[in-house]
Amino acid sequence: MTTLTGQPSSEAIGYSFSKATSAPIREHSFYPYTDNGGSTLGITGSDFAILAGDTRSVAGYNINSRYAPKVFKIGGDDETGEGAHILLSVVGFAADGQALKERLDAVVKMYKYQHGKPMSVMACAQRLSTIFYQKRFFPYYVHAILAGLDEDGKGALYSYDPVGSYEREQCRAAGSAASLIMPFLDNQVNFKNQYIPGSGEGHALEPKKPEPLPRNTVEQLVRDAFTSAVERHIEVGDGLQMMVITKGGIEEIYYPLKKD
Amino acid sequence: MSSPFDINGGACIAMVGKDCVAIACDLRLGMQALTVSNNFPKIFNYGPSTFLGLTGLATDVSTVSDLFRYKVNMYRLREERNIAPQTLANLVSSSLYEKRFGPFFVSPVIAGINSTTGKPFICGFDSIGCIDFAKDFIVSGTASEQLFGTCEGLWEPDLSAEDLFETISQALLSAVDRDALSGWGAQVYIIEKDKVTKRLLKGRQD
Repeated sequence: MTTLTGQPSSEAIGYSFSKATSAPIREHSFYPYTDNGGSTLGITGSDFAILAGDTRSVAGYNINSRYAPKVFKIGGDDETGEGAHILLSVVGFAADGQALKERLDAVVKMYKYQHGKPMSVMACAQRLSTIFYQKRFFPYYVHAILAGLDEDGKGALYSYDPVGSYEREQCRAAGSAASLIMPFLDNQVNFKNQYIPGSGEGHALEPKKPEPLPRNTVEQLVRDAFTSAVERHIEVGDGLQMMVITKGGIEEIYYPLKKD
Repeated sequence: MSSPFDINGGACIAMVGKDCVAIACDLRLGMQALTVSNNFPKIFNYGPSTFLGLTGLATDVSTVSDLFRYKVNMYRLREERNIAPQTLANLVSSSLYEKRFGPFFVSPVIAGINSTTGKPFICGFDSIGCIDFAKDFIVSGTASEQLFGTCEGLWEPDLSAEDLFETISQALLSAVDRDALSGWGAQVYIIEKDKVTKRLLKGRQD
C-alpha cells in the first residue's frame, strides 16, 4: 500500500514510528473440516424404505451448489448405480461424505465379487460402522443413514453418528434441520403423544400404536417435513431428492424446493 | 450451554386460530441437567383475555412477570379499563428496551383477543424488546428449534378452538420430548371471545 512517507508497510497507517522493529509472529492454521449444511431424512414402510435429502450445499452464508446430491446408491454395477440394492445418505462435511460413499460402494462391490452374492443390508450396516470407527481419531465428519430391504423384504433403516455408533430405526432425520424435523416425525410416524380417543381415563388412556405407513403417506410426510424445514432453516432448500427402494428396484424422485 | 437463556430450560408457544388464540408452556424448572421443579408455569394473566408467556432465566421470569403485574395494575387504575394485548406488547417492548445494556434474559410471548376489535393477537419478543408480529405462531425457549419444526408442520389457517387445542398440544409435547431441558407436563390456555379454557397436560415425566 502507499503511505504518507512513500514507504511500503504492513500496517494500515504507515508512519515510520509505528513500524514494528521486528517482524510480527504470525500463526497459520488449517482446519480440515467444513460444515456444508443441508438435511436428510429416512422413513421405512412394510415393503419399502425412503431416503431423502435437500440438494443445497453451503459454506457459511454462501451457496456452493443448488444441486449437490446427498443420497447415493451403493453397490451398483456402473456410475448410474444400476443394480444397486442399498441406499446411503450423508450430511455434514460433503468431502468426507463423498469419500465415505466411494469407500462403502467399493466394499459392497468387492463383497459381491468375492462371495458371489449381494451384501445384505444388515451386513453392510455393520461394515459401515467399522469403517467409521477405523477413523475414530480423525473421523468422517458426517451423519449417515443407510437404507434398504432386510431378509424378510421389510424396509430397513440404520442411522449413524460420525464415529460408528448405529441403530436400526423406523425413521430418522439428520443434518442441520434434524432438530426441526425429528419431533414432527416422532408425532406423525411413531404417533408419539397420540392416544386413542375414548379408550380410557387418565393413565388407562391407550396410546396409539405405531404401524408401517403406506408409501404415498410417507412420501407426503417427507415433502411436508422438508417444506417446513425450508421455511425456517436457511441451509435447507433448492431441491428435494427422494430415493425409494422396493423389491422392484430404486426409484429416484426430484421435487423442487424454495430457492431463497 | 452456559447462556443464561439455557440454564433453567423451558418452552412456550402461542398460536392463532379462527376467532381464537392459544398459548401453552411446559412446567419444568431445572439447574442445567438437574430438574428442580416440575410445577413452574411460564404463562401469566394480565387481563380477561390477555396472556404473557416468559421463558429464559427463571429469576428473570419471576421478576419480569411481577414487574408487569405492577405496571398493568397501575395502567388499569389510571385508565379504568383492562389492558389490550397490543398495548401490553408495546409496554413489554419499551420496558425491555429500557434495559438495553443489561437485559432481562427472557423471551416473552403474548397471546390474547382484543376486546374492542374482537381480533386474535399474538406476538413475540427478543430479550431487548424487538417485537415479532406473526400471523400464525410464535415459539420461545430452549425447545424453540423443535417447536419451529412441529408448528410449521402441524399448524394450518383458521383452526377451530378444539382443533387449535389439539394442534398446539401435539406441537408442544412432541417438541419438548426432543429437548432435555423442557417438558415435565404442560399448561394450555385456549382463548375465545368471552371464554378462556385452561388445561393441564401430563406429558412424559422424564
